[in-house]
Amino acid sequence: MRVLITGMGGELGTRVANLMEADESVTEIMGMDLFPPRRRIFRSEFHRVEPTDRRKAVHLVRDFDPEVILHLGVFEPHSRTSPSEARRGTAASAVSVLGAAAKCPSLQAIVVRSGIEVYGRARGAATRPDESVPIQPTSPFGQSLAHVEQVATEAGDVAGVPVTALRFAPIVGPSIPSPLGRYLRLPVVSVDPLSELPFSLLHQEDAGLAMVAAATARHDGPLNVVGPGAVTASQAVRMGRRIPLPVFGPGWWAAGAIAELQGAPLPAHSRELLTRGCTADGTLARTVLGVEPRTTHDVVTQLYRWATLAHPEPSNQVTPR
Amino acid sequence: MSVNLLRRGVPGAQALAQVHRRSRGAHDVDEWGLDPELVALANPVFALRWDIEVRGAEQLPAVGGAVLVFNRRFGVSEPWVVARGIRQATGRFVRTVGVPDVAPVGPFIRRFGGVLDRTDEIAGLLRAGQLVGLPMSRDLRSRERVGHLDVERLEAAIETGAPVVPVALVGRELGRAWTIVVGEPVPPVADGGPLAAAELAESTHRAAQILLDESLPTSWWF
Repeated sequence: MRVLITGMGGELGTRVANLMEADESVTEIMGMDLFPPRRRIFRSEFHRVEPTDRRKAVHLVRDFDPEVILHLGVFEPHSRTSPSEARRGTAASAVSVLGAAAKCPSLQAIVVRSGIEVYGRARGAATRPDESVPIQPTSPFGQSLAHVEQVATEAGDVAGVPVTALRFAPIVGPSIPSPLGRYLRLPVVSVDPLSELPFSLLHQEDAGLAMVAAATARHDGPLNVVGPGAVTASQAVRMGRRIPLPVFGPGWWAAGAIAELQGAPLPAHSRELLTRGCTADGTLARTVLGVEPRTTHDVVTQLYRWATLAHPEPSNQVTPR
Repeated sequence: MSVNLLRRGVPGAQALAQVHRRSRGAHDVDEWGLDPELVALANPVFALRWDIEVRGAEQLPAVGGAVLVFNRRFGVSEPWVVARGIRQATGRFVRTVGVPDVAPVGPFIRRFGGVLDRTDEIAGLLRAGQLVGLPMSRDLRSRERVGHLDVERLEAAIETGAPVVPVALVGRELGRAWTIVVGEPVPPVADGGPLAAAELAESTHRAAQILLDESLPTSWWF
């Protein structure tokens, strides 16, 4: 099986590449991204491609002629890029890679990384939507993900192959750059105790396992991949022994500006999650993919444990025996 | 220290332990916003407000989802009465439908089990094995008639195969004493099809009316 992984330079992309490398049925792996891989890759071939460099991306994809595409080329605002760059990069990457893949003769399956942000949190929207609920994104990131799903569906229709859209809950992990993770780990965290609703999270390792499982499951349609259970923002802050600062209405603008000064800018979808909640029914994905994600409670607990990781200074001294 | 107080049976120690747990965020909140510990903490307040008698609770499934269709007059006390009464009788939470999605009222009621009035929301709860309280429309003129039942909402029960149980509520909005009478589950419509929800709603409405007629005292003053 020849597998193309876009977004291989990200934490999730590199982990997926490592997992695919361990699978003997995978004969060739090619990766593309704006950034180089975060960890060592062993038998994958990596190409550094700007998301807007459509000509290079199309050329590489057609030459490789993949059987399976794992499209992780999605940029979360304020994760590693600014919101405008993230929006442009996500759209350009989806169009060039998936558009080129649609014409590849060997293509058998497309798997795209999406998110439960596509359901949106408009007033009266379903609290815990399953895959049958129509999408209605209410944040720029949700709209970007909905666009990726739309492009993938069009590419799948042209190629006549199944398209799996993995709608991940916000991914948090020990080393993944997440604006939500950074924000929740600030010493003082603004929360809205009067309006907040619960949200669910997904551990980065579970996201990687789900992506790999989807490569062979050949499911046609969306799947919600969500850590069971939920927490509210105030609860998460108290679990981390941080100081919750109650904020209401326009106060969020000030809270967002202060968080940005502290190095934890809060994008629109994360603020929406903190005030309006964000969760989904992940039952179908657990059945189809056979992946049992860690609970949201566990993910939050681990989020605060990482703060205590020791980073020893390098030393040239040799310990005497 | 809290554990020692609990072991010694000091009054209020359990509530104190719960408050301590909450201060550390170690309590549970489900995906729809229900906070079981908060409900337990608010129990004494609810006990002052309502004195509820429940009949026929054995008709409710011990596990798995079910839709409880209940009458209401003004609709202020009824959702709380159903939720509290059924929880006292069976130990199960009832998710009453009809929470406004407006802060701070909506999130507050959700902590006590309220959910939005959406068919997909009800279907999701039933798939998760929850009891869903579905109110009929308000009937301000008479306490002897049950209101209309939204046919679309029962599609969730048909989709998930959950039983529909009529429930009659008897009580006064400003009074303390309430009676909940749980009826037999309405037989599911066998052939399905587009009329299934309408026929199920009709059968449920009829069953709820009969149950209310039987439950009402012959004279209100007695």
